[in-house]
Amino acid sequence: MQLKNSIGLQRKGGRMNENVIRVENLVKYFDGRCVLDSINLKVPQGCIYGLLGRNAAGKTTIIRILLGHEPPTRGQTLLLGAESTNLSAKIHSQIGYVAEGHNLIQNYKVGRLVKLCKALSPQWNDEFFKHLTETFRLPMDRKVRELSIGMRAKLNLSLAMAIEPELLILDDPTLGLDTVARRQFLELAIDVIQKQGRTILFSSHILGDVERIADRIGIITAGKLVVDCGLEELKERVKKFRLIFPESVPANLHLTEIINQQIEGREMVITVVNWNQQKQALVDVFKPSSCTEIPMSLEDIFIECTKPNPESIACS
Amino acid sequence: MFTLIKREIEDHIGYFIGAGFLSGILIIVSIFAISAQEASVAVVFVGFYIPVIIMLMIGLPGMGVSQMYTDRTRRISVFLCGLSVTRGQILTVRIITGILAILTFLVPLTITAMVLLRIFMPAGRIYSLYSSVASGFIFDIFITAFLMSFACYCLGLQTGWTSSRITPTLGGVALAFVLVPLIIVKGFGLHIVVILVLFIAASLVRTWHRFMSTSL
Repeated sequence: MQLKNSIGLQRKGGRMNENVIRVENLVKYFDGRCVLDSINLKVPQGCIYGLLGRNAAGKTTIIRILLGHEPPTRGQTLLLGAESTNLSAKIHSQIGYVAEGHNLIQNYKVGRLVKLCKALSPQWNDEFFKHLTETFRLPMDRKVRELSIGMRAKLNLSLAMAIEPELLILDDPTLGLDTVARRQFLELAIDVIQKQGRTILFSSHILGDVERIADRIGIITAGKLVVDCGLEELKERVKKFRLIFPESVPANLHLTEIINQQIEGREMVITVVNWNQQKQALVDVFKPSSCTEIPMSLEDIFIECTKPNPESIACS
Repeated sequence: MFTLIKREIEDHIGYFIGAGFLSGILIIVSIFAISAQEASVAVVFVGFYIPVIIMLMIGLPGMGVSQMYTDRTRRISVFLCGLSVTRGQILTVRIITGILAILTFLVPLTITAMVLLRIFMPAGRIYSLYSSVASGFIFDIFITAFLMSFACYCLGLQTGWTSSRITPTLGGVALAFVLVPLIIVKGFGLHIVVILVLFIAASLVRTWHRFMSTSL
C-alpha cells in the first residue's frame, strides 16, 4: 500500500476530467461466440485503470480493439479522442503498449530494435531509456529471441516507456518477471504517472500489483464488465460477513445483492454488495449470536465477482 | 517513412541481392550473345532468359508472401503500430519496397539494352528511325515487364496475409504462372498494359482492404 499512497500524494494536482479511453456499447463475436457483450467504459486522464478478469474473459480483446488491432463487431472505441479504427501516426506516438507475450521483432538484435524504435518515435527519451537499460541490464548485442521471457518483458517495458506516452497500455506486463523486476516495473510505472496527466490501462493476473497501483478497477466476467469503480469504493461496497446463529441458519435472510453464501452448521458466510443499515437490520431480525466482518483483499473480491452471477454486483 | 523503407529493405535484402544478381547475369550473357554469332542468341534466350523469368515468377510472389506472412506470424505490424506508424504506412512502405526490388532487376537491364542498341544499330541515315522504333520497343518491354513483375508481387502480397503455410506458398506462384503466359497470348502493347493495370489495381485494393480491416 506504500506505493499506492505515494502515487496518491503525487497525483493530487492531476487532471482527471477528460476521458482518454472511451468504450461505448462494445460487442465482439469470434466465430459466432460472444466474447464482449455491451461493454461501456471510461478512463479519465491521469487514471490508473486496472482491468481484471479470468483467462479468456476478454481483457486482451478489449485492449486490441482499443488499439485498432482488432475490428469490433459493434460499438465504438475512442483513444485520446480518436476512433480506434482510424488512429493517426500522431496518436500512435502518444500510446505506449506492452502486449501480452511481448510482441517484439524476434530476429532483430536488441540494439537494432532500439534504433528502430528511436527513429520511429518523435518523443523518444534517450536518457530515460539508458537509465532503464542500466536498471534492467539489457544486453544490446543479443538477438531478441535469445532473451529470456523476463528479459523480453523488461525490454518491451523499456521501449514502451521511453517513447514518453500520454497513455500507457499494459497487457499483463509483469508476466514472466521475478519479484524484484516486478517491483522495479511498478516503480517505473509510478515514474510515468508522476508526470502530470499520464494515464495507464493495466491488465494483470497478479492482483497484488493492480491493488498496489490502480485507482480504478474494472472486472470482466463472461464478456461483461461487471465492476467498474474506484478501488476504495469497490472495497467499501463489497463486504463479507460470518454470521453464527444460535440454532439453525434461517432458510432465507431476505437480503438482496448477495454474491455468494456458504452454510455450514450454524455458521453462514455471505458476501453482499452495498451493505447498509437496512441490510444489517434485516440480519438482526434473525438474532445471530455473532456477526463478524471478514476483511477482503482485491483478490477475494475478484474471486467473488467472477463467480457465475455477475449481474448482481455491477457498480456505477 | 524512410526508416520503414530501410527496415523493409534490410529485412528482405536477399530479394534485392537476388534481383541484382539475376540482372547482372542477364547483362553479361546478353553482351556476350549479341557480340557473338546470331545462333547463340536463341540458345541464350532459351538457356538463360526463360529460367530467369521462371525465377522471377517464383521470386516476386515469394517476396510479397514473405513480407506479409512474416508480418502475420511474427506480428511485426502489431509492434510497429505501437510506435508512430499506421497500418496504411506499413502497407505503403511494403509496396514501395516491392517496386524497388523490381526496379533493381529491370533498370540495369533496360539501360544495358538501350546502350547495346546504340552500339550495334546500323549507322547512317536510317539510324534515328531504327533508334526511335527500338527505344519504343524497349519502353514497351520495360513497362510490360514491370507491370507483370508488379502483378506477380501483388499476388504474393494478397495471398501472403494468412497464417496458413500452404495458401501463400502455392497460391501466389500458381496465379503468377497463370498470369505470365498472358504476354505470350497478347504480346506487348497497350492492351496488355491495360489488363495488367486493372489486375494490379484489383489485387492492391483487395490487399489494402484486408490488411486495413482484419486483425493484426
